[in-house]
Amino acid sequence: MAWAETIVQALKDWDTSLIAYVPDISIHQVTSLIDADPFFHLVSATREEEAIGIAVGSYAVGRNAAVFMQSSGFGNSVNALASLCIPARVPIPMFINLRGGPGEFNIAQVPMGRTTRSIMDLLGLVHFTLEDEYRMDTLLDGALKLCHANRQPVAICITQMLHGGKLA
Amino acid sequence: MLRLEATRQILDQAGQRPIVANLGPTSDELWHAGHRDRNFYTYGSMGLCSSIALGMALSTQEQVISLDGDGSLLMNLGTIATIGREQPKNLIVVVWDNEQWAQTGHQPSHTAFGTQLDQVARSCGIKNTAVVDDLEELRAVFGKALEQEGPWFIVAKIQETEYLEVAPVEPEFTLYRFRESFKS
Repeated sequence: MAWAETIVQALKDWDTSLIAYVPDISIHQVTSLIDADPFFHLVSATREEEAIGIAVGSYAVGRNAAVFMQSSGFGNSVNALASLCIPARVPIPMFINLRGGPGEFNIAQVPMGRTTRSIMDLLGLVHFTLEDEYRMDTLLDGALKLCHANRQPVAICITQMLHGGKLA
Repeated sequence: MLRLEATRQILDQAGQRPIVANLGPTSDELWHAGHRDRNFYTYGSMGLCSSIALGMALSTQEQVISLDGDGSLLMNLGTIATIGREQPKNLIVVVWDNEQWAQTGHQPSHTAFGTQLDQVARSCGIKNTAVVDDLEELRAVFGKALEQEGPWFIVAKIQETEYLEVAPVEPEFTLYRFRESFKS
């Protein structure tokens, strides 16, 4: 669970206290810590693009925000990125549980899991993938710094190799 | 009631409170009615207007006003449930309901066939709801919403009219100037 605590610390270091998310069993290891910590306001959205809208609103009044979702839900948020975050230049860190990798059992999770990063590339957005905890704190700090410097969303893809959780 | 005159009415009562406007004519008419730093115009992300306003309301003490539309909100009804769950006291959602997707060729929307968005809001736990048909009613209900704790959900029935010129706004500058206005 050290990886989950490392993410929580990075969010705090970057004063990112509104977290909008759609539940995911692996990301739950992080969002449960966030939910229990009074530093954060965790908002449960009904859909991933809604989570992005909520995060943009928070940033617009001066409070940094991040979103958590699964790669399937990334597919639900592409237009919010393309027509809101990119043209308005909104720095939103997106933590995505990347499905479709080693150990995947569900054929329906493979296409979005395998194309999430390609779609980020096509949108011109930066992404990082975490497979293990090696220098994870440095990478997260750098990813959030880049996110704010570039004022564009950044995806931090977390994988089963990192979280070891069940995929469902 | 025409949306432009209703927008002028809202702007007149809103003071310096932040306003988020739905994409297209709602944003254009807000700009024409009175451009100000605290107007957040959207020109994309259809459906997210009230989600953006919700995120604002959760992160500022100030009252936040969303000027949404029936067609857009139908795309993201879930956000009404999220507003009901979060119960932000400082959020006022106004839905311009013309019962159609006007810009795409006046196709009737679901509100022309019985969908009552105020009832959706009520069933999601938003207690303060209203449907208004004219400017007088809008003035009275919106005035009450500014005075009493929310969340508020006001459906304003409007007639479509000719469009004004597209407002000359840039999303990046809109966000920058809006955000700067919250810095003390």
